[in-house]
Amino acid sequence: MATAPTATKQSFEEFCRTTFDPKKEFGKPEALKGVRVLSMTQYILGPSCASYLAELGAEVIKIEAPRRGEAMRHTTPFNEPFLYPLSKWIPERGTGLGFLGANPNEYFISVDFHRPEGQAIVKKLAAKSDVIVENYRPGTFDRWGIGYRQIREINPRLVYCWLGGFGGWGPGRVRASYDILGQAQGGNFGMTGKPEFMGGTPSKHTIWLADYWGGMMGALQILAALYWRDKVSGEGTFTEYSQVHGVTRQLEYALPLYGRHGITRERWGNWDTQLCVHGVIKTGKSSYPNSDNPQEQEEGYILVSAYTDEAFAKLCQATGNSALASKYGKTEERVKAESQVEIYPALEKWAADKTKEQVASTLDAAGVNNQPVWNSKEVASNPHWQERGAVRWLDDPTFGDLLHQGPAYKLSETPPRLKWAFKPVGADNEYILGKLAGFSPDDLRRLEEQETI
Amino acid sequence: MLLACPKCKTNNFLDPYPFWNFKGTTQCAGCKTIYSLQTVGGACVSGPEAAQGKVDLLPGFAEGPGHTAISGDGLTRPAPRARKDSVCKPIPITRSIRGNPLSGSPLKKEDLIGSKPKFMVAGAK
Amino acid sequence: MAAANGKVLPWPAVPTPTPEEVYAGLSDQAKDYPLFLESICRQEHNFEKPEALSKIRVLDCTTTMTIGHWCSSQLAELGAEVIQVEPPGGDPLRKLTPFGRKQYMFKDKDSGEEVGGHFLHEMRNKLSVTLNLATEEGRNILKQFAVHADVIIENAPPGQWDEWGIGYRQLSQINPRLIYCWVGQLGQWGPRKDKPGNVEPTGQAACGFVHGTGDPKEFGGVPTRSALWMADHVGGTTAAMGILAALLYRENVSGKGQFVEATSAEAIIRILDYSWAWHSMDGSIRPRFGNWDLAINIYAVNPCKDGYMMVGGGHDRLWYRIWRVVGDEYPAVEDEILGDPNLREVADRLAMNQQIKTYTLLCEWLKDNSRADAERKLSKQQVASGGVLYVNEVAEYTHFKYRGHVAETESPHYGKILYGTTPFIQHKTPGRMKWLGRPTGYDNQDVYRRLLGFTREDFSRLEKAKVI
Repeated sequence: MATAPTATKQSFEEFCRTTFDPKKEFGKPEALKGVRVLSMTQYILGPSCASYLAELGAEVIKIEAPRRGEAMRHTTPFNEPFLYPLSKWIPERGTGLGFLGANPNEYFISVDFHRPEGQAIVKKLAAKSDVIVENYRPGTFDRWGIGYRQIREINPRLVYCWLGGFGGWGPGRVRASYDILGQAQGGNFGMTGKPEFMGGTPSKHTIWLADYWGGMMGALQILAALYWRDKVSGEGTFTEYSQVHGVTRQLEYALPLYGRHGITRERWGNWDTQLCVHGVIKTGKSSYPNSDNPQEQEEGYILVSAYTDEAFAKLCQATGNSALASKYGKTEERVKAESQVEIYPALEKWAADKTKEQVASTLDAAGVNNQPVWNSKEVASNPHWQERGAVRWLDDPTFGDLLHQGPAYKLSETPPRLKWAFKPVGADNEYILGKLAGFSPDDLRRLEEQETI
Repeated sequence: MLLACPKCKTNNFLDPYPFWNFKGTTQCAGCKTIYSLQTVGGACVSGPEAAQGKVDLLPGFAEGPGHTAISGDGLTRPAPRARKDSVCKPIPITRSIRGNPLSGSPLKKEDLIGSKPKFMVAGAK
Repeated sequence: MAAANGKVLPWPAVPTPTPEEVYAGLSDQAKDYPLFLESICRQEHNFEKPEALSKIRVLDCTTTMTIGHWCSSQLAELGAEVIQVEPPGGDPLRKLTPFGRKQYMFKDKDSGEEVGGHFLHEMRNKLSVTLNLATEEGRNILKQFAVHADVIIENAPPGQWDEWGIGYRQLSQINPRLIYCWVGQLGQWGPRKDKPGNVEPTGQAACGFVHGTGDPKEFGGVPTRSALWMADHVGGTTAAMGILAALLYRENVSGKGQFVEATSAEAIIRILDYSWAWHSMDGSIRPRFGNWDLAINIYAVNPCKDGYMMVGGGHDRLWYRIWRVVGDEYPAVEDEILGDPNLREVADRLAMNQQIKTYTLLCEWLKDNSRADAERKLSKQQVASGGVLYVNEVAEYTHFKYRGHVAETESPHYGKILYGTTPFIQHKTPGRMKWLGRPTGYDNQDVYRRLLGFTREDFSRLEKAKVI
């Protein structure tokens, strides 16, 4: 227990800082110690799901195609940054950063699932594992003899998690999917961005949201299944996560509204349909006018949140908008669409000769909620996120000095943690296959030469 | 929308979002001829016709004969960039922005111990 | 679709196919696996099966932002007994409705109390209890609750509960098995913990998400927020992961609870993929790239004949298939692409200019094709594609209706409600929806009598003192 003795008067903030200190993570036990996960996954949805378990201490074994590994290793922003080597066989190529973030803390082995000998390896590992995460097309593993129907015969305690776009049954089961398709068809894409009258189009959430967040939903279900196995039944199960289904789950009032009134939720740009003021406004000036980076030359933006009558009055006072204050003093008047169309431009007019920091300091002084829209450099260098370990320097054993995201959440006794970003393809063949499949160095050499592993 | 300049054979790529429903002028990146055109739903409904005056919107990108790239200030719209000197090709990196070793450039077999770069195993300065 | 001539048609407007219709004409071998999945996963069997978290009791004391509500509704779908603790009069979120339009709210047929669709959607399977934590007596009641809870979730301003004597330091002494979870936007500690903004849904802007979403400035775009309180959904999901990990550790190892902290901003920082590493390698600042992708080509949404169309094919096999489909109608476009030496290597296609060329030419074909036509043609080549769907289309999409992604429930309080179902589809312990929201304080009688032994006198006294 991290309870402080009552005699010391430690402030709550100090208590939290000590309790959640990212530097102390490695001095504490891991929640999923002893849980073994096979991640037979590619792209982001499946890999990220397994990686959340790896952050919690599970031994996650990522199995990729020999030599070149999975597809995501060959993606990187604008084709510029790569981390070398891709594998010991192809050191002149690197892994693109598209792979980073979805595979931390894992062990990397290579197996060709197409070959009977490769399938036999998977069965050997599955017999000793607690979880399988896979995102091949539905039925592919079943055909190869390593699907849920076969694995549950070998290991009835295993939780088998399939993740994908549309699910393995139903009229659309054969459709392939990616994150952006999950967003497009699940419904959040069509609602995001400016409406047509503001000159906007439907917009994608920049991150591979349906993938990375979908992986969390998969991991959540796995954790619940492990709880049920360990605490209640002793049995494994099969879970199926469709990313398009996940996106449809998060549409807030859109489905109830449509079902009752036949009204389709539309886009509302950077404002909020239910609160006003609660939106992103443009400020006229860049915070870094002398920077040569085009991202820093852009004008600033800031999220302003003052939707109660009291907060709105403060906002109007701080921005000198007394006319707005009397006209829109009441919540129900203010939140109307036609009011919003008047209020936000008035705020932007006030902010036109300011940077986002200047706007923030005025609003901070007035006690009005706000948050400057930070770019990735501002986030990475912010002392708040650095102290909390949200973004941290990682001394990666293979690739060296990298900034890396920390785990998303904090636990006082068994904190999730970051050990390494990822490793080259097949880097742990010897360790894992020696340990779990009983392969000798000779076996490994032969299998590597055949490209079975 | 593809605007193939009849004068200089440059392929001007009028990228879909801004040019989908468009009425105004653009300019050939190869010979700077100004064209007026109107598009509806990505299809040209009038023009392109040679025109005079101000250019409303430059092409996103253009290519001359033999797939030679034409882009740059006054020719195409600037691309979104993460840095001033974005090159869109793999760039060798050996140090992080704070100056520590980083394995960001191609290696040879003899540079490795197992799957790791030798200089990482050795703990290079 | 559903609103025709001012009348709202019953959902679904188009009937859902039966399994026989869906699998008609397939060989036994081809339908073997999907039918196996149907036999173990169909949602109509959910109530024949146990629930993963049925032994767990969660007290969700969060208000005014949805991060906690989202977290606890996931746990509720997985079977936990979730007691939603609201201030007397109800969580302010109950009153939210688009543009303040009262006519879109849902009215309780007995009390006439109204609730917005957003709040209702996240109140699934939860018990509604009122308790005023601003009073001493209310806090004493919470301490009694703490004895019976496995999990408590709160989102008060940092340190508020500790000051009140009901924070983690105090409750963990009353109940050492308790898992105590704080959720918020920026955190309970660190330089910005007390900044205005930590207690409102502002996390999206503090993590690089808003800056990176939308069209680039060069294309006329601005930083763009999600229409949804999306960072709260993701943050709530991470909170639920933390809670379940703590629960597993309690059951399997320690017998004790712990302190969990989750924020919406850090949840997004975790999943902003390569932004941080990229910056550390060469100083890059992630730019916006609209509906295209910085790291994959073809992988984008572009306009088409009747809306917006996603086409994806990040590697060679799919690349050539896509252009073959385009080439059926525009052979010159296919020739131009295949003949371009700058588009031969997968990695070379990522360059900005190559992406502009790719999508400009793809749109030559898309402009003649509706979403349905484009999808049909690309599907024949097994290329992932699909149109951007609006909510009316999502609700009527055959595959979603068949699998029950969208469903209608008959609420005893609010009548028929259309909603998004849980994606926790499973063989042995599937997630499920039991009821969708209740009026404020509806479960006071049940919960306070069952857990705390309240009497008639207690109720009347505490109600009068505005404690419950």
